[in-house]
Amino acid sequence: MERATATRLLDVEGITKRFVTAEGSLTAVDDVSFGVAPGEFVSVIGPSGCGKSTLFNIIGGLAGDYEGRVTVGDAVVTGPHEAIGMVFQEESTFPWRTVLENVAFPLEIAGVARVERHERARNFVTLVGLAGFEGHYPAELSGGMRQRVAIARTLASNPRILLMDEPFAALDEQTRMLLGDKVLKIQQTLKQTTLLITHNLTEAVQLSDRVIVMTYRPGRVKRIVDIDLPHPRDASVVGSDRFGRYVAEIWQDLREEATRGIEDSEAQARAGHAAR
Amino acid sequence: MSTAAIRSSPWPARAVGAVSIVALFALLEALIRTGVVNRFVVPLPSQVLAAIPRVIAEENVAQRFWQTTQEVLWAALFLALAGIVLGALLYRFRLLRLACETWVGALAAAPVVLMYPLFLVIFGRSAATIIAIGFAAGLPAVILKTVEGLAGTRQVLIDVGRSLKLTSGQQFRKILLPAALPTIFVGFRLGLIFAMINIVGVEFLINFGGLGQLINEMAERYDLPATYAAICFVVLVSVLFFDVTERVERWMRRIV
Amino acid sequence: MDAAHRLTVATPASTAHRVLALRVAIVTSILVAWEALSASGLLFRDVVPSLGAIGRALVRLLGTPEFYSHLSTSAGEVGAGLAIGAALGLAAGILLGANRFAADAYEALIHYLGPTPKIIFFPVMIMWFGVGAGSKVAMAAVSCFFPIAISAAAGMRGIDRVLIRVGRSFRAGTWQMVSKIYLPAMRAPVLNGLRLGLGVAIIGTLLAETKLSNRGVGHLIIQAYATFDMPRMYALLTVVFVIAIGLNALIGYAGRRAR
Repeated sequence: MERATATRLLDVEGITKRFVTAEGSLTAVDDVSFGVAPGEFVSVIGPSGCGKSTLFNIIGGLAGDYEGRVTVGDAVVTGPHEAIGMVFQEESTFPWRTVLENVAFPLEIAGVARVERHERARNFVTLVGLAGFEGHYPAELSGGMRQRVAIARTLASNPRILLMDEPFAALDEQTRMLLGDKVLKIQQTLKQTTLLITHNLTEAVQLSDRVIVMTYRPGRVKRIVDIDLPHPRDASVVGSDRFGRYVAEIWQDLREEATRGIEDSEAQARAGHAAR
Repeated sequence: MSTAAIRSSPWPARAVGAVSIVALFALLEALIRTGVVNRFVVPLPSQVLAAIPRVIAEENVAQRFWQTTQEVLWAALFLALAGIVLGALLYRFRLLRLACETWVGALAAAPVVLMYPLFLVIFGRSAATIIAIGFAAGLPAVILKTVEGLAGTRQVLIDVGRSLKLTSGQQFRKILLPAALPTIFVGFRLGLIFAMINIVGVEFLINFGGLGQLINEMAERYDLPATYAAICFVVLVSVLFFDVTERVERWMRRIV
Repeated sequence: MDAAHRLTVATPASTAHRVLALRVAIVTSILVAWEALSASGLLFRDVVPSLGAIGRALVRLLGTPEFYSHLSTSAGEVGAGLAIGAALGLAAGILLGANRFAADAYEALIHYLGPTPKIIFFPVMIMWFGVGAGSKVAMAAVSCFFPIAISAAAGMRGIDRVLIRVGRSFRAGTWQMVSKIYLPAMRAPVLNGLRLGLGVAIIGTLLAETKLSNRGVGHLIIQAYATFDMPRMYALLTVVFVIAIGLNALIGYAGRRAR
C-alpha cells in the first residue's frame, strides 16, 4: 500500500482545503495524504470536481490557506519551492520568446549568464525532441510541440519533483499517447520523480508506477494501485493483458466517482433552472 | 466548478482611497504651515477651498460657465451636422471611404489645437475662434465613429429594407441611421469631449471666453488661491461633463 | 450601360488604382482651390498665402540652423516629459492592474481626471518649475501620464493568467516579473498608450511654448502670429503636423507588429 515515510521525497500530509462560495462552504479536498518516492512516477486520477487542480496548486506552493502539510525532502512547502517544477494545463509558453529563450527562462531568473543558460537550455530542447526548433516562436509550433517546450522549460530548472497538471489535456488522443511515451522515456532517463495529475485512465496506467484514485468532491484518496508493468515501457504496453486488467480495475472505482459527479452537476443544473 | 471566490465589495477600497487623498491634502497643509513647502508657490489647501466660494461670488462664474457652455453647444451642433453628414458620405461612397478614411484617422492624431494662432488671424480674438478649434478637434472622432456605426449594420437588416423596396433615402433614415445610432453617439460623445477640452484650453490661451479665461485672469493677478480654486472648479466641471455624458451613453445603449 | 457594368466587375488591383487616382484628384483640387482663393483677394491679405509663398517660407525655415535649435528644444522637452510620464504611468497602470484593492481605490481618479484640459495647469507648473523648459516638461509629463496609465492598467488585466503563474512557479522576483513577463505580455496596449501619450505630450509642450516661452517650435508659431508672417506660420504648422502624424504612424505600425 503506502511506502514507508523514510523513502519519500514528496510527502503530502492531511491536506484539506475549503472554499467560500455563494452557496456556502465547499470542501474541495479532504484529508488527502500520500507520498512519492525518489524516481517514482505517480499519477493522481479522478473525475472533474475531485479537487485535482486544487491539489496541484497546493503542492506547487501557489495556493495558501489550507490545512495539512507538504514536505519536499526536509523542507516544508510554503510557497513555490525550487525543488518542485510545475507544468500547467493551459498554453503557458511565452509567445514573445523563442523556444530556446522559453526553455532558458528559469535559468535566466536564477541569474545564469546568457551563453551558459542557452547552452544548457539547448540540451533540454533536444531532450524533448525539438532540436532544430530553437529559433522558432511558439505561434509557429503545434499545440503538442508547445507543451513539449513547457516541459523542457520546467526540466531546465532542475527540479527534484516534476509536478504536471493534465499537460496533455488539450491534445488529441494519438499525440497524447506519443507525447506521454516521450515524457516517460525522459523520466526514465533522468530518473525524474514525477507527480502527474490527470483524468485520463489509459495515460495514468501507461506512465505510472502507482496510481492514486480520488473521490468526487470532497476529494479524498479512494485507492492507491501499484502498477506492476515492466520497465522500460513504451506505447505498445497499452495493448497488453495486464494493462487492460489495471485499467478495468481502476475504472470500477473511477466510474462510481464520475457518476456521482454527473448526477451532482445535473442536480445543480435543475436547481439553477428552477431558480430562474 | 463553483469554487470561484466571491468578488468582494469595492466600497472599503473606495473609502480608503478617498480618506488617503484627504490625508494627503492634510499633510500638504501641515507641510506648508510649518514652512517646509513655500506658501508662495503652493497655497494652503484650506485657503484654496475658501477661495472657491469667493471666486464664484466675485468673478461671475455662472455667467462664465454659461459662456463656455454656449461655445460647447455651438461646437456640438456643428459636430453633429458636419460629422454625421461627412461620415454618411464616406459610408455611402465606397471609393471615397477607401481614399479618405485613413486621412481622417491621421487628422485625429494631429495636434489640431496648435492651429489656434491661425484661427486667431482668421476670426480674431472671439468666440468663433474657440468654437472653430473645438469643432476641428472633435470632428475626426465623429466622422470615424459614424462610418463605423453605419458599416456595422447587420446585413440582414439591410436585406429587409431591400426586400421592401425602400429607396436609398428611406433605407438610410429608417434602417441604417437608427441601427448605427449607439455607435454614432459614442463618436459624438468622444468628439464633444475633445471639443470641450480644447475649448477651455483655448479660452485660457487667448484669454477670452468663460471658464478657461477665468483661470488665466486669476493667474495674471497673481492671486494664488484663486488660481488654484479656479483650476479645481474647471476640473470639477469637466469631470461632471464626462460623467454625465457617460451616463447618457449608457442609457442610450440600453434603450436602443 | 457599359461603364456601369465595368464598375461592378472591378478587380482589387483596379480599385487600388482608382483610390490613388481619387486621392490625387482630391489633393490637387484642394491645392488649386487654395491657390485660387489666395489669388482672389477675397479674404484679407495673407490669411491664405499662395502655395509658392508657403513653399518658400518652408525652404527658408528648414534651411536655417536656428530652426533646428528650436526644434531640438521642443523635442527635448517632449522627450523628457514623455519619459517621466511614461515611467510614472506604467508604474501606476501596472499597480492598478495587478491589485484590485488599489484599482477600486484610485483608478476612478485617473479615469475622470484624464479627459480634462491639462493646459490650465500651466500657471501652476510655472510656479513650481519656472518659466523655462521645466514647466514645459511638466506639462508634457502630466498630459501623457493618463493615457499611458489607463492603457497599462487595461493591458495588465488582459495578460493571460497562466503566464503569471509560470513566473511565480519559477519564483521570479517582482522586478523580474515586471520586466520579463508583464511588460512583454502587454507590448501591444502599452505601445498604443505611448502613441496616444506622445500625441498629447506634443500638444501640451507646444501649447505651453505658445503661451510663455522664448524657445521652441510653439514659440516660433506664436512669434509668426505676432509678426503676422503667415507663410511662416503655415510652414511651421506643416512641419509640426508632418512630424506628429509621422511619429503616430510609426508607433502605430510597431504596435500592430507586436500583436
